[in-house]
Amino acid sequence: MNLHGGWALIKSTWMSWLQYRSFFFLLAFGWMIPPLVSLFVWSTAASEKPIQGLTQGEFVAYYLLFILINQLTYSQTNWTVGDSIRNGDMNRALLRPLSPLFSTLSTELAGKVVYMTFVTPVVAALALLFHPTLHLTWQQGLAFVPALLLAWLLRFFWGYWLALLAFWATRANALLEIQDALIFLLAGQVAPVALLPGPLQLLARVLPFRYMIGFPVEVLLGHLTGADLLIGFAYQCGWCLIALTLFVVIWRIGVRHYTAVGG
Amino acid sequence: MTEPQIFVRKLSKTYRVSERDAGLRASISALWRRAYRNVEAVRDVSFTIEAGEIVGFLGPNGAGKTTTLKMLAGLLYPTAGEIRVAGFVPWQRKPDYLRRISMVLGNKSQMLWDIPPRDSFRVLGEIYRVPPSELNGTLDELFDLLDMVAILAKPVRTLSLGERMKCELVAALLYRPAVLFLDEPTLGLDISMQRRLRRFIGEYNARTGATVILTSHYMADVEALCPRVIMINHGQLVYDGNLHALANRLAPYKLLRVTIDDDQVGGHDTPVFPPEVEIVGQEQATWTLSVRQAEAPAIAAHILNTLPVVDLAIEDPAIETIIETIYQGASLHLT
Repeated sequence: MNLHGGWALIKSTWMSWLQYRSFFFLLAFGWMIPPLVSLFVWSTAASEKPIQGLTQGEFVAYYLLFILINQLTYSQTNWTVGDSIRNGDMNRALLRPLSPLFSTLSTELAGKVVYMTFVTPVVAALALLFHPTLHLTWQQGLAFVPALLLAWLLRFFWGYWLALLAFWATRANALLEIQDALIFLLAGQVAPVALLPGPLQLLARVLPFRYMIGFPVEVLLGHLTGADLLIGFAYQCGWCLIALTLFVVIWRIGVRHYTAVGG
Repeated sequence: MTEPQIFVRKLSKTYRVSERDAGLRASISALWRRAYRNVEAVRDVSFTIEAGEIVGFLGPNGAGKTTTLKMLAGLLYPTAGEIRVAGFVPWQRKPDYLRRISMVLGNKSQMLWDIPPRDSFRVLGEIYRVPPSELNGTLDELFDLLDMVAILAKPVRTLSLGERMKCELVAALLYRPAVLFLDEPTLGLDISMQRRLRRFIGEYNARTGATVILTSHYMADVEALCPRVIMINHGQLVYDGNLHALANRLAPYKLLRVTIDDDQVGGHDTPVFPPEVEIVGQEQATWTLSVRQAEAPAIAAHILNTLPVVDLAIEDPAIETIIETIYQGASLHLT
């Protein structure tokens, strides 16, 4: 494993991306809007009395955390990896004695650092404005850490294998649009998963999308009891394994099929 | 007998390309039924190259040269055939192999765009595991050979094409690869930059014994650097040998440029040339004649004796013209 090389690449990509701060800030701002809209809707709806046990303050807390975690786990591999396959930059990565995974990880980390420098203060400001209700215990905090890490892992590799479809299809955008819609519905964005109607809630609990964003939020806020928590983790781990497997398999087959276009 | 550095036998690469007619109706029917076509980009190509050679790959656009080069570099997975470079199988992409080869693609960049070249070189040094002391030594040597110390601190995006090309070369050579694949390295560069690059490649090969495979559409590159050329057309290898020998074999003729004294001949009449001569061009009083190589001296002497010649030059036909006739399908009956 060429760790030295990988780390050097990560640092230099970081430096490069920081030069385009304003572009990424705008991007991050755009991604914040849909959860913010949900925040306004739900907190207004719950202003008189709680909805299914969640008070206005708790809705605010949920969505502010959602914004943070969405940003931390957001998958950008479609444009970093997908584009690099389509325009021939993948050639460069394939010629180096360094797994292309490092290149993707370096842009991933660079992106996260830049986004979070924007999003964190904004969320802090919103917290001051909207008064979230937060009761954090150390047990919730402890459970939160693996939930967040697994959520990042899942979303990263899930996005990665989808991006690798660019080895075959020059345009896999339709699939990504569907995925966006599914995330919106089932990841806890349009509503916390517990508030979704029957069949939709079942889908949300079984499919991977909730485990990419909503699940860590629910864990931190203590919305999940013992059994539910464990079942949630089981699903999250299971989907992580599936995502990793899909990634490895599709990478291997894809590289063979690769036509190295573009120069 | 030692194994050649590059060994290729019956190498083939076939792509499956989906085909579709233009128009709306065709687009819709393509949703149900996809028509596919097999494109044989490379067909049964075989050759061997020894360490330290500089070989030119020639061929028209779409001939399969870049595809062959990419298979040698391990970027593409061959459909059939055997291929070994420096003792490795390229498409296995082992790190030890990738550290021994380098590919410069004329229109693609290795450099990180927003930081000065020096920083990119340092990162590449880490990726290729070059010890820092060795790296600095190699870099200094390269900066000197390419005369580029002045541009090292400027972000890459501010550099001119020629300057960026110099950076690409340094990036490709800083880990001293044993095999160098250069795909159109002089693309878009000005004359003096082209010449400097050619000198550099020749010197680098002489100094380090690196094997160089070069593709270029500029004949001047090939003529200056490549004692041996491999010509690929329609995916097949059509020639492997010396460039001038090829030219002589295909076009064993010479061009005579004869300038006649207008006054003496009387204006617009065609002067009387020997019958074996073919007139291929005329500009005012200068006639370009094509004659068989063996007969050229005798015919030149005859013309000098019989016509009022002001100037006479004997030239080889342009390599480009010869190569063009091959691209356009003249069969070679060679090898």
